[in-house]
Amino acid sequence: MKTLEEAYAGPYRQSLARDRRDEDDLFTLVVLGEALGVPDPAAYYTMELMPYLYQDFHAWHRRMGIPRSPLDHVACC
Amino acid sequence: MAPSHGDSALASGSRRMLLTSLETRSTVYVGGKGGVGKTTVSSGIAHALAARGRRVLVASTDPAHSLGHLWRVSVGDSPVLLAQPQGGELHGVELDPQATLERHLAAVRATMDRMLPERMHKAAREHLDLAAQAPGSHESAMLERIASVTELTGTEFDTVVFDTAPTGHTLRLLSLPERLTGWTERLLANRDKSERYQAAMSSLVTGRHRDEPESELRQMLHRRRQRFAAMHTDITDGSAGFVAVTVAERLPLAEHAELVAELDVLGIDLAGVVVNRRAPSESGALLKARSALEEAALADQPPAAPGTPLVSLPLMAEDLTGAEQIARIGSMLTG
Ligand SMILES: Nc1ncnc2c1ncn2[C@@H]1O[C@H](COP(=O)(O)OP(=O)(O)OP(=O)(O)O)[C@@H](O)[C@H]1O
Ligand SMILES: [Mg+2]
Repeated sequence: MKTLEEAYAGPYRQSLARDRRDEDDLFTLVVLGEALGVPDPAAYYTMELMPYLYQDFHAWHRRMGIPRSPLDHVACC
Repeated sequence: MAPSHGDSALASGSRRMLLTSLETRSTVYVGGKGGVGKTTVSSGIAHALAARGRRVLVASTDPAHSLGHLWRVSVGDSPVLLAQPQGGELHGVELDPQATLERHLAAVRATMDRMLPERMHKAAREHLDLAAQAPGSHESAMLERIASVTELTGTEFDTVVFDTAPTGHTLRLLSLPERLTGWTERLLANRDKSERYQAAMSSLVTGRHRDEPESELRQMLHRRRQRFAAMHTDITDGSAGFVAVTVAERLPLAEHAELVAELDVLGIDLAGVVVNRRAPSESGALLKARSALEEAALADQPPAAPGTPLVSLPLMAEDLTGAEQIARIGSMLTG
């Protein structure tokens, strides 16, 4: 059973969670650009950000509407 | 005063002006169209500064290095002593971004191994190799190498003179610090927003805190932004000067004008202009005709605004390699 507090906060939380996820997804797209075939002039510097994103990679490409891993060498599914 | 005497007094005034302008810089970029004489002029300038008692490093950023050929010695990625004129020192280096790129890759790999589960290591490494092969990666590594050489001014060297790649490449390279500052700022703004949504969520219901990797990532972005901003300052605060080399023909002069305009947009000081390989006016019909053409082109397309040191270097018959010739070019440019 939901508490009153949860019932009140739920919708706001969902919308905030969605906004946050959108920002995170954009970040992932920028950092993985080169590997996804989008030329990235800053690849030298984005590569050092990659380790921070890998863990979330599977969930990300599913959210992007890409059913299978778009990176040949990342067999996450 | 005879006109010819007036001309030469003017010319020697310009050479002194060029030397004065260069003596105030800690870095000098020598650039221009392919083949105009950048390598020759940069070593000449570096030699002239060393002959004034300075410790000078001439550094080639052109992947097609020719500094070693010019000096007829072998030059590599670490500085070698080229000459010791009048109490000064001249060292040379041919910057090789490959080693920098490899060190960077090794550092990123170490972070990956630390952060990712064993089963993802192979995939992460392959991904990393792809990013390393991106065309921009070599250029960024060169930028890093230039920044590390620039850091030697004030300690090991008084002046670093860069012998650069032909115009387009060099302008791109010099525009990178500003563009990368913008890139880092956009990524940081994105992380800020994400963090704010997260914080707002947590305040609704006491939730989990931002995890460690996130703050590491932000620190990395902050460090990068500071470094890019410092590189941008280094090339725009007047401690750096650009010497544009051209020849006195219409097409090269038009390209030279574009270079000068672009430097202005980038906020980089034009420390001087060298018009190279000027045909002598007093020997033979052919060269006399060339000389007249050059005069007309220069009159139509003045290569430097009034106030900018403008120095000419004559077409020379000799093979311009080796220390002696370089010393001679140095004094012809500044003496
Ligand atoms: N004033 C001059 N008189 C005669 N020959 C010259 C003169 N200046 C340069 N040269 C010769 O022209 C050639 C090209 O010069 P240099 O290598 O300095 O040009 P560069 O602009 O560095 O070329 P690149 O774009 O290929 O790097 C060299 O063989 C050099 O010796
Ligand atoms: Mg050259």
